[in-house]
Amino acid sequence: MKVVTTENLHKRFGKLEVLKGIDLSVESGKIISIIGPSGSGKSTLLRCLNHLEVADFGSIKIDDEYICEADEHGKAVYKSGKEVLRICSRLGMVFQNFNLFPHKSVIENLMEAPIVVKGESKEAAMEKAEKLLEKVGLSEKRDAYPGQLSGGQQQRVAIARALAMDPEIMLFDEPTSALDPELIGEVLKVIKDLAEEKMTMIIVTHEMNFAREISDKVLFMDDGDIIAEGPPKEIFENPDHPRIITFLDKIIQKS
Amino acid sequence: MDPAYLAEITEYIAMGMGVTLKVFGVTLLFSIPLGILCALGKLSSFRIIHAVLGVYTWIFRGTPLLLQLFFTYYGLPIITGGAIQLGPEVAAYITFVFNYGAYFTEIFRAGIQSIGRGQYEASKALGMSPWETMRRIILPQAVKVILPPLGNESINLIKDTALCSVIAVTEILKNAKRIMSRDFDITALVIAALIYLALTFIVIQVFRHLEKRYSYYSIK
Ligand SMILES: Nc1ncnc2c1ncn2[C@@H]1O[C@H](COP(=O)(O)OP(=O)(O)OP(=O)(O)O)[C@@H](O)[C@H]1O
Ligand SMILES: [Mg+2]
Repeated sequence: MKVVTTENLHKRFGKLEVLKGIDLSVESGKIISIIGPSGSGKSTLLRCLNHLEVADFGSIKIDDEYICEADEHGKAVYKSGKEVLRICSRLGMVFQNFNLFPHKSVIENLMEAPIVVKGESKEAAMEKAEKLLEKVGLSEKRDAYPGQLSGGQQQRVAIARALAMDPEIMLFDEPTSALDPELIGEVLKVIKDLAEEKMTMIIVTHEMNFAREISDKVLFMDDGDIIAEGPPKEIFENPDHPRIITFLDKIIQKS
Repeated sequence: MDPAYLAEITEYIAMGMGVTLKVFGVTLLFSIPLGILCALGKLSSFRIIHAVLGVYTWIFRGTPLLLQLFFTYYGLPIITGGAIQLGPEVAAYITFVFNYGAYFTEIFRAGIQSIGRGQYEASKALGMSPWETMRRIILPQAVKVILPPLGNESINLIKDTALCSVIAVTEILKNAKRIMSRDFDITALVIAALIYLALTFIVIQVFRHLEKRYSYYSIK
């Protein structure tokens, strides 16, 4: 079953066209990695999916509900803010910079949205939050504040916080890019655990080994377009597109 | 120095403290919510609201408070042909609320703007509405940023209440001045100064306490 579908998705910032007609379709339970050079529009695509950016043309569908649909000229027409918020609540998002709430303790970070948005009781929210903290291995940090945690720990809390809303799909925008190298592993492990549970995930990453290991499908984005997609083997081992070859060469040289 | 004399004038001067505290309390009570509302208005995307609020803060921050007091107390009756004739205390309340509201607007606006975009995005990604985000995520964090300048303004406010003496509000300074002219002696002024010092000391302590309460977390 398709859980995320976009058709002819266009987005521009002023004169700069950042997405040039993206057709994306993600099957339930699959893991999609998006790779590509800086500025190619990877984050923008992800951010359009959960309405952090507003698309100009095309459509976005979550499960079988459109958040925006193309009119006769192809322009993206959005549903009401409330509807969009409701539909997008099936998507959880993890940011490069964690964006935890610094004034709330770890457990409060996890309980906030379930209580405020879903109207869960404090007890139920806390119980779930504690389970999630155990899952990401941070039970003992329950009452700490984000400022007291390492980057890796903060990102694991951020993942748990997104999971607390029981999302069907998780979006990751370079979840390990802000981390010291020695902290990357602990975050990737949490994501791998989610993969084992068959969580649908779209992951923008510069960790090529990770993308190759975990993904069902890899998308290569360049200059606002998806210029290649396929199983990781195909993309990484037999790249046929010159842009991909240069990109992969550069990454290998760096590491 | 005669202790009986000291006691007598201290009591008289301190009688003015009630009004001073009333002006202080009423001003904070109303100008803080006014400031929050206007700050949100300035941060909203409505052009007309921006323009109106811009004029409001410009006028009240760009002219002397003393002039504004004169205007409300002496000016309003003249331009309304006597239709609006406020008592001195009410005139003081209104002027102070709008004046301090203008300063607080700018302080709150800056405080809210100091909170990064990531906090809004994380809240939205979690399904929180703009209002919930503002109330539960942004404003509580903005308070930490706002407290130091708010403390400063509160100290200024204590001192500014002395301006009310010029429109016949019988506050601390007015009473002290009366005694000074009556006895031709500056003891009364010294006592008034001590009272102001005591009041500002309390305000400083309160804000120090509040800032401490908000130091439980750091914005990294
Ligand atoms: N809010 C914005 N306003 C203007 N331009 C923007 C905005 N957000 C992104 N851009 C521009 O859009 C282009 C694509 O940005 P995007 O962040 O999607 O790239 P990316 O593929 O995620 O790159 P990176 O790997 O560096 O994260 C860039 O040129 C960027 O400067
Ligand atoms: Mg990016």
